[in-house]
This record gives sequence, C-alpha cells and structure tokens, in this order.
Amino acid sequence: MLDFLTNLYLFYTFVSLYFLTLFILIYFQNRNLLFYSPVFEKELSLSIVIPCYNEADSIGDTIQHHLSADYKGLKKIFVVDDCSKDNSYEIIKKYAKLYPQVIALQTPKNTGCAAGAKNFGAKFVKTDLIGFSDGDSFPKKDAISNMVGFFNDETVGGVTSRVLVRDRNNLLEKLQSVEYKIIAFTRKLLGFVGGIYVTNGPLSIYRKKAFDEVNGFDEKNLTEDIEITWHFVKDNWKVQMSLASLVYTVVPSNLRIWFKQRIRWNVGGIQTIMKYKKSFLEKGMLGSFILPFFGLSWVLAVFGLCVLVYRVFRTIIVRYLSTFYSVQAQTTILRLQDINLSPSILFLFGIFLFVFSLSFNLLALSYSREKDYKGTNPFQVGFFMFFYLLLYPIVLITSSYKFLRGYNKW
Amino acid sequence: MVESFLKSKKHVFWEAFLVTIVVFFLGLLIGFALESSRVDEIENYYSESEISLMDMLAFNNLLDNQINCGDLIKANIDFADKIYLEAQVLEDYEDSGKLSESIKISHRKYDLLRTFLWINSIKSLEKCQNNVDVVVYLYEYDTQDLTKIAEQKVWSKVLGDLKSERGDKLILIPIAINTDIITLETMVADFGVLKFPLVIINNNDFIDDISSVEDLEGYLVK
Repeated sequence: MLDFLTNLYLFYTFVSLYFLTLFILIYFQNRNLLFYSPVFEKELSLSIVIPCYNEADSIGDTIQHHLSADYKGLKKIFVVDDCSKDNSYEIIKKYAKLYPQVIALQTPKNTGCAAGAKNFGAKFVKTDLIGFSDGDSFPKKDAISNMVGFFNDETVGGVTSRVLVRDRNNLLEKLQSVEYKIIAFTRKLLGFVGGIYVTNGPLSIYRKKAFDEVNGFDEKNLTEDIEITWHFVKDNWKVQMSLASLVYTVVPSNLRIWFKQRIRWNVGGIQTIMKYKKSFLEKGMLGSFILPFFGLSWVLAVFGLCVLVYRVFRTIIVRYLSTFYSVQAQTTILRLQDINLSPSILFLFGIFLFVFSLSFNLLALSYSREKDYKGTNPFQVGFFMFFYLLLYPIVLITSSYKFLRGYNKW
Repeated sequence: MVESFLKSKKHVFWEAFLVTIVVFFLGLLIGFALESSRVDEIENYYSESEISLMDMLAFNNLLDNQINCGDLIKANIDFADKIYLEAQVLEDYEDSGKLSESIKISHRKYDLLRTFLWINSIKSLEKCQNNVDVVVYLYEYDTQDLTKIAEQKVWSKVLGDLKSERGDKLILIPIAINTDIITLETMVADFGVLKFPLVIINNNDFIDDISSVEDLEGYLVK
C-alpha cells in the first residue's frame, strides 16, 4: 500500500501529464492553423467601446491605435469616462472633436468597475459587432480585421485577441511578458477544442446579438471578461481566438500592484465558478471541460501549496532540531554522505514533467517572436518557471480568503 | 473552416487520456523495475551476509571447546562492518523507494541479522577478554516524531564518527526496534528500556541523551 504523499504525488503527476499531453496533441493536430484568420465574407459593422478611469497617460494613445485600424467596418469608437479624477475626459473630448468616429461619453456617476462603464457604452452601440478594449491597450493595425472573419460562422459569439506586454523594463514586466506569451499560445490551443474560458479586456469582439442575449457584462463580477465568456459557452455560442491579432498592454510594474491585480482576477474567477457551479459536469464545454479545468486547477494549486507548506515546515523543524543536537553533540551539521544519490521514481517523474513543461513553454515562446522586441532569454524562462509560478498558489489562497470575506472591489 | 477546427475536439480529450495512461504506466513500470533492481542488489548483499553469519555462528560452535578469541572477535568485526556498510546502501534505497514494499522487508531481514550479531557479540564478550567495544544503537524505524527524526539523524552521525575513529576496535550494530522481531523485542524488554533512540555500550551502559564522540569514548573501556 502506497503512502498518502506518494499517492498524492502520483495523482498530481497524472493530472499535469494529462494537460500537457492534451495541449501537445491539440498543437500537433492544428499547428498549421495557429495563425489562420478567415477572410470575412461580409463586412460586418463594428463599434468599439473603451472604458476609461484615470487613464490620462494612455487613453490618447489607445484611441489613436484604434483609429489606425485597417478594418473599414469600424464605425464608432465610444470612449466611456467613468468619472475619472484626472483629465481623462478632457483628452477624450479633444479626440472626439478631431475625429467624428470617436464619441466621448461619461457615466452619470462612477460605476466602480470596468463592467459598468462597458455596459454604459454598449447602450449606444447599434452595429452588428461590438468590441471592447481597455484604456491602456494598443492593438496593431490589422488586429481587428484578423478577428472579424471568425464571425463568418453564425454560431460564433465572441472572438478574442493575443495580448502581449508593451513595457518590459524590469524583471517583473519581463516575467509577465513570458507569461502572456504562454497564455496566448495555450488559449489558442484551447480555442481548437472550444475551451476558451476568457475573452480578454485589451481587445475582444462580440456579436451584438449574442452580447444582448447574455445581458452584457455582469457588474457584480470582478472579472467580467471571464464571466461573459462562460455565459456565451453555456448558451452555446462559440468563442474563438485570433493569434494573428496582436494587442499590447501595460502590466503592473511592481509586486504590490501585480498582487492586487491577480487577487482581483482570482476572486473574479472564484465568483464565476460559484455562479456557474450548477453546470459542473453538464453536457457542453462549460460543464465538461472549462469548469472542471478551472475548478481542478484551483483545488490542486491550493491543496498542493498546503502540502508543500507542511513539508517545508516539517523539514525546517527537523533541520533546526538536527542542527541544535549536532551542536550539542559537537558533530558536523551537514555531511557529503547526507546527499542521497539514488533518486526516487517520484523525483524522476518530476524531472520528466519539468522537462516536458519547459519544452512546451519554449514551443509557446517560439510562436511569439516579435519584430520590435528581443526574444525571451533563457534566464527569464528559468526564473518564470522556478519562482514566478510558485507565487501563484499564494495568490490563490489569498484570493480564496478574500472571496470568503466578501471582497468585491477593483 | 471553423467547423473543421472543432470536428476532432472530443477525440483529443480521450486521445490525451490514453497517451497519459500509457506514459504514466510506463513510468510506473520503470519505477518498479528500478526499485526492484535495488531490492535485488540488497538481496544479493543479504544472501552474502547471511552466509557470513552462518559461517560465523558455525565458527563460534566449532570453537566452543577450544576458543580462539582473536579469530572470533575478528569474524564479529568483519561481519559487523560489512552489514554496517550495507545498511547505508539500504538506507539510501529506502529513502528513494516509493512504490514497492520489498525494501522494507529487506530492512526487517537485516534487523534480524543484526540481532543475531548482537547476540553473538554478547556471547563473544562473555567468552573472551578482548579489546573490542560493542555499541548497539536502537532506533525507531519510519518514525513520524520530528524530535526523534532529528535525534536519530544526529545519533547516526555521532556513531558514524565514533566508528571511523575507533575502526577495528569497535563493533557498531544499529537496529530498528519496531520491526516486529520477537527476539529483539524480548532482548529489549529484558534490558527494561523504554526510551528510544538508545545507545547500549558493551551491554552495560545505556545512553539516551545525545552525546558527543568524546562523551561516548568515556564509556568505552578498551
């Protein structure tokens, strides 16, 4: 009979191996279609809504990027100021005066969340498609035109883009850049099996009919972009991703803001899981894949961290006591013979999984080469895998605690 | 085109599941094979040690009437050193053994062997006036008590240092006391000791507090 920890390690190994294998198989079956964007059969009319709150530094640049889009069906750009405390609204009005496409809007009072401003702007949209972008996101010229063709399929309700990091000055930004590239690649792979679980804030386009059917964004949810995607999938609308549609965004440049952002994302994620929990294991991608995938990742990460903390804590106590007794006995604290050179099979499994996931990450990064940026250096990938990812279970546990405490603010 | 993307979507989940099962069980098989080869290695050592023990016991009986203490003590020391070194290999393999229980059985067999050695060394001490010390180290196998784990780690180091220092003048016999060996349990009960880890020197001195090599040398009379 194997002990509990061995069984647990084997279970984790199996689950990790399964998801890695799944991604690799999807990749091999679809690798020629990764950057495929269907040519649009009909030029559908499109409006973009950009919520803005205290984004005077970036909103002008964001509007400018949307104005330079090469998609002729883009009719209006609604920029919604959510009662900013800075001069964002003045900047928006200036652009509205200069460009007839740009419409400056302001909410009657601060809605307190992006979803509020987005829904407010959506009320003015009369086009076939409605797109949303953040006030600090900068789409490439062809980003929108590469997305619209996916709507040739009448059952597609939403299309999302590939988001990459614009400023990569410090280590944290560089690590997020690695993370965003890998996320974009895996999300595209999930798109091939109808498993996209989020249409990101920096640039996503929805069929207006589908958007209205799901009653827009849920303003009570901290991650309205996840919630609306799950709602789409639940209502049998397909969600696609265009890897060829590149959008740059600004990411937190210090750990405090990064942590706050991730807490919000994860509390929002838990809110969404709770909202759709009744669909668990129901027929369809939401119940049979997205919910179990999300739920399992969350449970495994939290439980894994608890086990890790327990193991580390135990080791520290034993080390402390051993050191104490070693001093008492005047013997060496650490000897070369203490190093076990006969690795266990679990260790070998761990090495195998690490090499497998490293290969997958490198594969993902090989699909993310950019003209204007240097390639990712191996140090960043190593740091990302060894340290950055280890922070995540801490974020998850804090998020769970905050969720239980009713945390619900931006 | 989008339709064709999704055609194979359900199959891939099962394909991934099957591939994972194959790879996972292949990994487990390799694991079992690896652990099994380690058990085989230990079993070979054990068989040799068993022969050595039988030889030593036979030698002991042969010399009952015409005792050659020098040879008897040398046989005890050689045998003790042999199984002490094998115990270190066994310990490494035990730490790495996760799938199979066989290595634990090997541990029990070795504990029985070491109990024989202890008994034999008691007899030898009774028969011979010699200049060799017998140090028996009784510890708990697979304990979850953190204090005991730390104590046992340090005791192993201290006794290892003592053995290195004394060389052929010391027989070191580490034995796990909780491996269901009746002979051992009876011997320990006879000594009336309850606290472990415990070091017994020349069947006279019982030390259960962590001590330095120098302290222990104070108990060695030869």
